[in-house]
Formats: sequence, C-alpha cells, structure tokens
Amino acid sequence: MLISRLAVAAVGFALSASTALGGSTAYPISVTNCGFTFEFKKAPQNVVSIGQGATEILYALGAGDNMAGTALWFAKVLPEYEAANANVARIADNAPSFEAVIGKKPGLVTTQFEWMIGKQGVVGTREQFRDLNVPTYIMPDDCEGKDNLVGADGTRKGVYTPDFLYKGIGQLAEIFDRQDKGANLIADLKARQKKAAEQAKALDLKGASAVFWFSSADLDLDPYVAGKLGPSAYIMKTIGLKNVIESAEEWPTVGWETIAKANPTYVVIARMDRRRFPADDFQKKLEYLKTDPVTSQMDAVKNGRILIVDADAMQSSLRMVQGMEKLVKDLAERKK
Amino acid sequence: MILSTHDLGWSPRRGEMIVRNLDIAVREGETLGLVGPNGSGKSTLLRLMAGILTPSRGDVRLGGRSLRAMARREAAQSIALVEQHADTEDRISVRDAVEIGRTPWLSALSPWSAADDAIIDDALRAVDLEPLAARDWTTLSGGERQRAHIARALAQRPRVLLLDEPANHLDIQHQLSILDLIAGLGLTTIIALHDLNQVMACDRIAVMHDGRLRALGPPKDVLTPFLLAEVFSVGVAILSDPEDGTPILRFKPL
Amino acid sequence: MSEAIVGANGFQPLGRWIASLLKAAAILIAAALAGICIGETRIPPETVMQTLANRLFDASYALDPIDEGIVWNYRLTRAIVAACCGAGLAVSGLVLQSLLRNALADPYLLGISAGASTGAVLVSVAGLGAGAISLSAGAFAGALAAFGLVAALARLSGGNAGVQAAGQIVLAGIAGSQLFNALTSFIITRSANSEQARGIMFWLLGNLSGVRWGEVGTAVPVVCLMLVVCLAHVRALDAFTFGADSAAALGVPVRRVQAALILVAALATAVLVSIVGSIGFVGLVIPHAARFLVGVRHARLMPATALIGAVFLIAADVLSRTLIKGQVLPIGVITALVGAPAFAFILIRSRRLR
Repeated sequence: MLISRLAVAAVGFALSASTALGGSTAYPISVTNCGFTFEFKKAPQNVVSIGQGATEILYALGAGDNMAGTALWFAKVLPEYEAANANVARIADNAPSFEAVIGKKPGLVTTQFEWMIGKQGVVGTREQFRDLNVPTYIMPDDCEGKDNLVGADGTRKGVYTPDFLYKGIGQLAEIFDRQDKGANLIADLKARQKKAAEQAKALDLKGASAVFWFSSADLDLDPYVAGKLGPSAYIMKTIGLKNVIESAEEWPTVGWETIAKANPTYVVIARMDRRRFPADDFQKKLEYLKTDPVTSQMDAVKNGRILIVDADAMQSSLRMVQGMEKLVKDLAERKK
Repeated sequence: MILSTHDLGWSPRRGEMIVRNLDIAVREGETLGLVGPNGSGKSTLLRLMAGILTPSRGDVRLGGRSLRAMARREAAQSIALVEQHADTEDRISVRDAVEIGRTPWLSALSPWSAADDAIIDDALRAVDLEPLAARDWTTLSGGERQRAHIARALAQRPRVLLLDEPANHLDIQHQLSILDLIAGLGLTTIIALHDLNQVMACDRIAVMHDGRLRALGPPKDVLTPFLLAEVFSVGVAILSDPEDGTPILRFKPL
Repeated sequence: MSEAIVGANGFQPLGRWIASLLKAAAILIAAALAGICIGETRIPPETVMQTLANRLFDASYALDPIDEGIVWNYRLTRAIVAACCGAGLAVSGLVLQSLLRNALADPYLLGISAGASTGAVLVSVAGLGAGAISLSAGAFAGALAAFGLVAALARLSGGNAGVQAAGQIVLAGIAGSQLFNALTSFIITRSANSEQARGIMFWLLGNLSGVRWGEVGTAVPVVCLMLVVCLAHVRALDAFTFGADSAAALGVPVRRVQAALILVAALATAVLVSIVGSIGFVGLVIPHAARFLVGVRHARLMPATALIGAVFLIAADVLSRTLIKGQVLPIGVITALVGAPAFAFILIRSRRLR
C-alpha cells in the first residue's frame, strides 16, 4: 500500500491574479488553489474548517463569525482565539464525515491537509464537494510542492518555505475581505522570524547539526523524524542548524542506527498533549535517549543538548514562529 | 476369542445410534467377513474395533481386556486398520509410507533399529512391493497403493488386521490379487466386503442391517435367499462353480 | 542394510546426526554474521568482529562506543530475534500443515495475526491504556483473545472424530480472523488519523526495528521450548500422513497431540507476533521449501524447516534495511516479494519431479 502510492499529483502553482494585500476585496473574485478555481460573490458563510492550523488562521483573520463548524484538533485552541472558538460548533475531534460537513451547508470548506480533502481524502475528494457547489480550500503549505500520494505523510518536491503559508493567509484574507488583517499577520510573522534568525546568528552555531524527533509508534521502534525539506527543516535552516536526515518525506521513519551514526549536535524532541504512543510523552523520549545503550552514547545526549519544542511548532502554522523563538531562546541559554 | 464386542453401540453427539447391540466374538486366526448394504454400519464397526471411535455403549475387548482401559499405543500394537479412503498428497516414498506403520512400537527409549528395517523389508516382500520401495506415493496405481497400505498395517505387526473394503475401486484382476494376498497372510482378519461372491472364502460372515447384527455364521449357512431378500432387497439364484463347487450367487430384482 | 536406506527414514546414526547439527549451526552463524555486518550504515567487518571479541571474550579493542553499541545492541539482537521468528513461524506452519492435512495452513490461520492487529490498533489508535500499555502488550493480549475465541468456536462446533475437528478449526479460524479484521477496520475508521494509521501499518507488515536484548530474552526461550515440544512429536506428525484416523489407528492420541501442538504453535506465534508484528509468508512457504529439499519425514523436515526459516528471515531483514538507502522497508513486504516467486518456483519444480 505504501509502495502503490506512486501516482503523481499534478499540483497547480498558479497564483490568482487578484491576490493583492491590503485594501478591500472587490467581489466577485476568482481564487485558484492547487488546481481548482472557485468564484466568490461575497465572503462565504457557514464555513467549515478541518485542521487546527487552518482553523486558527481563520480566527486570526477575524473570520470566526463566518464559520459553522470545525474538526481535527490536536491540542487546545490558542488562548487568544478561545472566545471565537466558543461560538463555532466542533463537528468532530478527528476526521468529520462528508455528510456532517455538507450538513452545515458550507459556503467554503477549508482544510489544513490534503489527506482530509483531496485525491485520497478521508472526508472526500474536492470533486465531490464541487459537485454540490461547495468550494474547497487546501492550505498551500500542504498541497503545493508536496506530493501527498507518496510517503505516509506526503513527500516534498521542493524545499518548504513559509511563503506557502503566507500565500494561504493572503488568499483567505482576500476571500473573507480581511486583507488588512492578513497583511498585518504576515508582516508580524515575518518580523518575528527575522528577529529569531538574527538572534540565532549571534549564537554562532557554525557546523551544528540536529534531528527533530516527533514520536515513535513504540519506544524502541524506529522514530518519526523531520525530513530534509519540510517546515522543521526550514526552522533548522533559518536558525543555522544542519538537519542530519536525508529523506524528502515529511516525517520519515529513520532507524536509530542511522541517527546515532550521524551523531547530531542537538536532539530536538516534540512535546504534545496527545497520548497515543508511549513516545508522545517528551519525558519518555528523554528517558529513552538516556537509557538506550546506543543513543546514550550520542554527543547530544552525553552533553545534555536535548531541546524541547511543542509539536505544533514543528508544522507549518501560525505556531511555527513560536517554535523558532523557543529554540533560539534555549540555544542561547545553553551557550551561556 | 481374540477380539470381541459386547452390547456395542455408537452414536454421534446428539445423533441416532449408528450401530447398536452388537455382540460379536472373533476367533484367533479366522477371517470374518462383514457384509451389509450401504449405511448398515460396517465402517463404524471397524472403527470401533480399531479403537478410533469410543463406544457410546458397551465395549470392545482385545483378548478379554477392554480397549477403554488401554492406551491408544498399546491397542495399535495389536490391531491394524486399512481404511477405505486413506490417501496423501505428500511426495512420500513407498518405503517411508510403510515405515510409518512402526509408529506404535517406537519411542525415545526404543528408537529405530535394524530390527525395524527387517520388519519393513518383510512387509514390503509380503505385498510384492519390494521393487517399488523407492517410488513416490503419488506415482502408484490404485492397486499398488492398496498393497502399500496393507504393508503399512503389517509393519505394525498386528494380531488382528481390519480391512474396510480393500478391493473397492480396483479392476477385477487386482481385486482378486488383493483378496488372495490377504487370505495368504494367515492373520486374524476382519474384512468388510461389498461383493457377496467374494465373501464365500471367509470362514464366517457377519451380516449388518440398520446398525444391527442380522446374522453370523459360515457364508453358506447365512446367505440364504430369505436373508438376502430381507437385508439387500434382491432375489437370488444359487449356482455352483463346476470347477470346485463353490456357490455362486446370481442376483435378480425381487 | 545399506546406508542410504537407513538415512532415508530420517532417523540417522548418531555420528551423522552430529555432523548435520554442526553443518546447520555453521549455516546459521554465517547468516547471523552477514546480518550483523550489513546494515543501514557502514560499519567495517573488523569493527564487528572486534565488538564480538570485546563482548564475548573480554577482548579490549578500542572502538567507537556508538559503533560497538549498534553492533551489539541493535544488529546482533535483531539477527537473533529474526532467526527465532523465522524458525518459530516456519515450524508453527509446518506443524499446522501436518496436523490439519492442509497445505495452505499457516500460523495466522488460528486468528493470531488478526487478533494481534486488533490489540495493537486498540492500544495505538483507539488510545486504550493512554500510552501506558505498549503496542506489543496489546498485540499479545489480542492474539490470545482471538485464539481463545477460535479454539472455543472449533470446540463447540467440532464433531467427535479428529478429522472433523481439523476441518472445524480451519473454519473457526477463518471466522475468527474475519471478525477481528473487521474490528480492526472499525477502530481505524472510527478514530485514526494518518500518523496513527501509519504507525500501525508499519507494525502490521512486520518490524524488527524495536528489537533489543529484552526481546531476545523472550524470543529465544519461547522458540527453543516450542522446538523441543515439536521435535518430540515428529513420529506422531509422520503418522498424520494419511489423515487423523490413520494416525489414531497407529496409536497416536490424536486429540491430545492436536490440542498440545496447536496450543504450542499458537502461543509461540502470539509471542513472536507481539514482538515483531505479523510477518507473512514464512509460516506458509518455508515448510514447502523444506519438503522440497529434504522430503516429508518430520525427523529431517522439522529441523530443516527451522533452519531455512531462520536463515530466510535474517536475509529478508538484511534486504529490508539495504534495498532502499536511508529507509527501512517493512520486512513483511520483503518476505512476500522474495517468498512468492520462490514459492512459485518450488511448485513448478516439484510438479516436474512427479
């Protein structure tokens, strides 16, 4: 099944001509998103958003009043959006059913992940929604430059940059006529990133390398780590750390043997609320690194260079910049 | 009296009795023919006598001892059964198949020995299969397979040999040669047979009907036109072989 | 009595038996060494040998502790557990094929793999135990539950005779496997997201990456015990050549032997599946390969099956780690990719020999 997913998805890079930041939206507009073009005569109502990252972007744009439902949550909503979230029905904690989404009579369905709505979408395909005149919007950071039919969590075709995220914010801002908010949000994210990168540069991390460990199906099993092209790799590159993982998959499974031999300067482990696998708990990850006969011999472990970052900050989302800031802060503390 | 049944009955779980009230005593050295229409209980009786089935009522005794009180292994050292439908898809050689007959005699304390090899040689010789010893089971003809089965039973060195329609499905030449072979073994033999003319060579015959023993005695005394009409629903004319005077049954519809 | 004939029955004189044993041990050790030398990363063979010398004979070569750790704690344990799994699954398959007179029987017929999957999915996807229960503990419990159900079903529906019981356990196994597979699908569709689904996928196709000395301590005694019990029954298994009734007529206590051997095969398989996931094809194919090479008498067939199974799985594990650089394929994919053509070849060759 993993091997059979060799079909290559054609992914559209076309930028909608009307994407311009600032000002107000002149409806009707047409928006092209990953090979699909939809027309909006006014800001859509009864929007259903699947995936916490996409949902929080809508809240940040102040589009909460346009929304009728959310699904697929990984953690608590960010505190600043608690009020907005309280007024929107949660259809499902995980994947919602097609009919539950359609039942909201949505003017737009947004999704953070193509595996929710897309060629092999668990909720449905984009064609299914289009047949019912429901436009769909997939965050460009997941559907552009990434083939979600190869590898378990998709495979990057090129290097991830936050421009995909900014493009998504910009297009959503245009659709909801919130272009000022969108522009401010993007400017803020860019500024914070720049600052983090500058601080990191001052730390003089020359030649330092790292591995981002998300989780493992079982503690001794091969771990899920960040691939060389995804958002985590972008974070590492921005800060000036070299990723020791070679795979282009988003979250490849790589053997401890390979990781130990690569002997990275830092091991970055994810903290999350989820408790599905024992390794979801960052304390268990720490314990493993320190007790396994091989990983305990790694330089990063022997010298206490293990950093902890929130799992959401390892993905392309509003939280990514927080992850960057936290990492730089931790690195600075260790340098003292 | 080597093998005997006492008020023997058997039924499957929650089923009707397949055989019942059987009292048969087999004498040392005799050949007892088992006859009866299809479904009269011949195969069930043989399986009970071999100890494969546990009686629902009464018991089977070997030399006066109940099979119930005997380990399977001990019973198999005295009683061998040649089944009607035993076959295999395995690519096993004839000699290997015959060697399996030594199973009840072998254990960790008495492993395979030269004596066992001699017994296998004897068994193969007795059924004229020595030249085919190395052949694959699947290449044998029906008659050759039947001989090999008999050789495997002989390898058990049994005191009683049970055979369930051993000549079935063979052409007439092989039928006669198998029956001739069995008659020449000199063992106490209980043989279920389909062809009523072939049972004439038995010392005694037991006629089964609806799971019960209908008659027991020498063939000439038992196979009367009256009994054949009642049990087999056929009419019969009894002729005589001009060569040796053996009675020949000629059947006709009633 | 010619030598050839004595050898043919599989019960060889002591000298030749010892010679065979040494040959088998040499093959197994060679395979294990290959398994330790080849891996995801390049470690020179002399480092491997020096590590073994350090650990086994207290030599004191100065080695990179990471290299030494990888060889001793990852690769050696992996090779040992792979060998145990190969031998255990193959012998389980052989025993079931012989007892049930069914060439398609394999250890997963008893619902073990389906039950283990359900248990693993309950733990990892449905979140049973909230991270406190490991995947393998869940898998083991699931495997036992499924086998218990299959055994109970077979018993309730079984007739008096051994032959019927054999048929019933095949049917009960199919029913039980279907039930547990449906449960697994139900749990996954109810609650899985892609990362969990893949965690389970990875495990379902077999995975030796989590193997350490602890797993060796479980797998080795279990497989050794199982081999001892099965080897003690080689004559009884021979007696099943012409069916269960024929075995009974040869003095084999059919029901007791069937119950004991099926139970042993099921327990060993459940332990192995809980350690490495369900690796397919080994239990089905290896016994046929061994029959092709040494014939059908169990005194030779069973050791041969164990040896071929062990070597095959070590080789499959090496392939799974090296076929695609930087990525480990599920070992179940390799056993099927290599096993299926090998099986076809054996089928065609044995056909021609007839």
